[in-house]
Amino acid sequence: MSLAEPAALPVAASAPPHLHILKRFATRFKTSLPAYLLLLPSLVFLALFTYGAMGRVLVDALYQRATPKAPLRFVGLDNISAVLADPAFTGAVINNLVYAVGTAIPSIGLALLFALALARTNAVTSALRATLFLPVLIPMVAASALFLFIFLPNVGLLDYYIGQLLPVLPNWLGDSDVALYAIMVITIWKNAGYYMLFFLAGLQSVPEDVMEAAHLDGAGPWARFRHITLPELKPTFLFVTVIAILNAVTQVDHVFVMTKGGPSNATNLVLFYIYQQAVEHYDIGKASAATLLTLAALMGLTALSFRTMANREGGA
Amino acid sequence: MTLIDWLYKDAPLATRREITPKLGFLLTVLLALVWLVPFLWMGVATLRPASDGINLMAELMPSLKPTLDNIRDAWEIGDFPRYFLNTTIICTGILSVQFVTITLAGFAFARLDFAGKSLLFYLFLMQLMLVPVLLIVPNLRIVAQFGLYDTLAGVMMPFFASAFGTFLMRQAFEAIPTELEDAALIDGASLFQRIRHIYVPLSMPSFSAFAIISVTSHWNDFLWPLMVINSPDKRPLTVGLSVFTATAEGTQAWGTIAAGTLMVIAPLLITFLIFQKRFISSFVTSGIK
Amino acid sequence: MLFTRRLMLGLAMAGSMVGALAVPAMAEGPTEIDLFFPVPVDGKLARDMGTLIKEFNDTHPAIKATAVYTGSYDDTLIKTRAAIKAGKPPSAVIMSANFLLDMQIENELTNLDSLIAADGTTKEKFLGQFFPALQGNAVIDRSVYGVPFHNSTPLLYINADKAKEAGLDPDKPPQTWAELTDWAKKLTKREGDKVTQWGIAIPCAYDYCGWMMETLTMTNGGRYYNEEFGGEVYYDTPSMLGALTWWNDLVYKHKVHAPGATPGPAVSTSFISGNAAMMMLSTGSLTYVRDNAKFNYKVAFIPRNVRNAVPIGGASLIVPAGLEADKQKAAWTLIKWMTSPEKSAWWSRATGYFAPNMAAYKTPEMVEFLSKNPDAKTAVEQLDVAKPWFATYKTVPVRKNLEDEVMLVLNGKKQPKEALVAAQKAADETLKPYNAETSLKLP
Repeated sequence: MSLAEPAALPVAASAPPHLHILKRFATRFKTSLPAYLLLLPSLVFLALFTYGAMGRVLVDALYQRATPKAPLRFVGLDNISAVLADPAFTGAVINNLVYAVGTAIPSIGLALLFALALARTNAVTSALRATLFLPVLIPMVAASALFLFIFLPNVGLLDYYIGQLLPVLPNWLGDSDVALYAIMVITIWKNAGYYMLFFLAGLQSVPEDVMEAAHLDGAGPWARFRHITLPELKPTFLFVTVIAILNAVTQVDHVFVMTKGGPSNATNLVLFYIYQQAVEHYDIGKASAATLLTLAALMGLTALSFRTMANREGGA
Repeated sequence: MTLIDWLYKDAPLATRREITPKLGFLLTVLLALVWLVPFLWMGVATLRPASDGINLMAELMPSLKPTLDNIRDAWEIGDFPRYFLNTTIICTGILSVQFVTITLAGFAFARLDFAGKSLLFYLFLMQLMLVPVLLIVPNLRIVAQFGLYDTLAGVMMPFFASAFGTFLMRQAFEAIPTELEDAALIDGASLFQRIRHIYVPLSMPSFSAFAIISVTSHWNDFLWPLMVINSPDKRPLTVGLSVFTATAEGTQAWGTIAAGTLMVIAPLLITFLIFQKRFISSFVTSGIK
Repeated sequence: MLFTRRLMLGLAMAGSMVGALAVPAMAEGPTEIDLFFPVPVDGKLARDMGTLIKEFNDTHPAIKATAVYTGSYDDTLIKTRAAIKAGKPPSAVIMSANFLLDMQIENELTNLDSLIAADGTTKEKFLGQFFPALQGNAVIDRSVYGVPFHNSTPLLYINADKAKEAGLDPDKPPQTWAELTDWAKKLTKREGDKVTQWGIAIPCAYDYCGWMMETLTMTNGGRYYNEEFGGEVYYDTPSMLGALTWWNDLVYKHKVHAPGATPGPAVSTSFISGNAAMMMLSTGSLTYVRDNAKFNYKVAFIPRNVRNAVPIGGASLIVPAGLEADKQKAAWTLIKWMTSPEKSAWWSRATGYFAPNMAAYKTPEMVEFLSKNPDAKTAVEQLDVAKPWFATYKTVPVRKNLEDEVMLVLNGKKQPKEALVAAQKAADETLKPYNAETSLKLP
């Protein structure tokens, strides 16, 4: 209750001539009070861990120590420029872009294929859906533990089976050209089944009678897909893309377990960079600056996702 | 061919003879088999005796002399019951607080009119993008300020409010006819009684959908608990497992790692296989986690 | 009116639940101490540590020690620092020996001198128990900060069966880089483009890579860092250039070493599987190789180009700063017990690490063990030429500055010279704040 009251204070302090306005505000506030109280528990935690954290990042990004034992001092935008000048950070941004595109497109493509193939519900398709969905449920850390062996040179699963077909195989996680793609395979394996579900839901809105009519008009499966299914799935595409990009920024557990960002920072992603700065280097200033830059980049995506959400809300 | 025919028996008559969809289906079947390989290897490697040697480690054919040694080793090295308990505490702790916060907030947005409603709505919406995992650095400092560093409560706190849950509840509550509430109003039921006795019972499907999403995602959380938790007796399953895969000077026991992984993922996988339908429909409603 | 009593009750319950989880357990009875330890998980070692600690607890009723597995050496440093910063330091840590200087610079270590003095002995006498080569990483500014616990040196492991097959005599292992190159060439098997057996494997992942670079540089006559002062490393030097060029040649000129950066576990797996005929790896992997190799193997000194020399690896027991007096005392009791000749010898036999306490090798069990496993002796003999492991301000980042560049070379992305110039530049940048506070802080 006490938290809701300060909002009323400025009004109470205003001059008597505005009494009717004050009265209106008071009534409005009084009728709103139950809602505020209901929102209070959520708002407290949001204030601490979303807005408060945002504020914290903004402030922390402005301070730095000159030498290890020196006190914190205000450095303005120095941390931001230090992060931008750090090849490890710019490298991580580029890696993350490659990673985002390289995981989003294949996993969405596969998800669409799976959804189209498994759109009908029967025992066989249900089993296949469940199979493809299994990786979604396991922790990224567990997936990494399994793929650590799969990618092991020479005796690992990939080399053991594929090595008999292909003469020269790369050192999957040890080759700086290949490691990022190896990491991407895990993400695709893990997420395609998740995105499949959204396409399955989206496909339900494709009218079957239109399909049949199109077929009677001589449209083959490809034409029907192109002209009827795809337009119908457009909102789903947008929505899944946003999630895929968000996942590309927030899912870095496999980097931690498998490569620690190596070799030569080839698999370093932005969030892992932030983690390293904060936990390994104790450089809160740089970690906060990197967080801030990432958040700023995601703001653009936020706008996009609001529009997607609005579309969905409208449709529902 | 008869199986394929059976699969397409309810397809529109005219499209039943087309080849492209069937090729797509076959491709999907093949990929589904590939998708299973890591799980298959995990199972086979867990039961493989060390005497088979390293060169057979990748073999997907099960060993003829299966052993439980790897499971025993993993069990002795990792404190799995403890990790399991910690993960359970974290998930139920988060979920029970979320249950309160999202019900109250969801009701406010669904049924009440108040000043600044759309502003507050957008404030909530922000959390969907500013997912707590991105804010690990400031959140760690906030948690430490509360003296909750290295506590399970510290792991839970950033997730107590859930914009996603709030919206899910708002949608569920909006679908409930107001007549029901009006009747209760006449009986003199308080606001809270109405929520408790009308809205909550009628929204159980949404609650369970949310519960599945919430538990699954926090069961799998890694980076955040890794940062907050330092004491080994407070490690959740994911952090416990990551320690397994670590190494100091150059050796790794792949069979033990497979066994440890199996133990970590088994509970959730079994639950999924039992409640498959519910899981899948929950994830479809999940939209944004 | 709005909140019924039941809701209030619910909130209060939720609150108290959170509160209960936050309250740390109260210590009662024996002094409870935590020991952080990094050990590879190969099933056996963690169990062995459990056995060791149980024995300690059984014989010391006033203390209850708990062994806590904290992952790799780097992770153990991170976890220890986090615990210190949070005001809950572990009582003792088995810390990678080369992190001590960095921790001392950051005031994170307890100076052990007073504890040694309280036992009525002198620093010289206390340190005299251990091999002299280990003192460099344990003593900082003439004060003792760590007690060597399990130490290692890199070794050359040879698959003796494959060597015989190739007409080489495993009893006369290669002693120079030239001989090693020759052996590796003879031990590499090809089928067309495909290499079915590599001559040699040298690990390179964060942590291991720096150690191996130091090994090769030392055998090439060089130093890796300034042993007297934590603000300098010597990356862009002829000795390191020669070392990295040779490694690069093994990969790209002689093609006897797989390209790319291969982590330690992949290297040991490769050796055990017969895919690599020789490897350079820590003595800490000796027990693993002994237990898992299905062939005869030999271990030998790391071959030299200029001189025989290897860096000490492994870990020392440390006591973090900021502990209560009773925990400090209990930790000290544990440390002395663990580094005693008998326990030191037992741990050495269990793991393959050599026992830092010289008296350990005079215990009857150890004498018998060595006569049965002469390979364990090689590590000890190599100690005569061992030197401290690289330790500077911000050890891990400074090490990574080099490792990232070495990985680029092994991946064929850079030539050794340009890589080392870049590594030197990056390391100098990392060390700059420390130098600004020390060597460049002028009156």
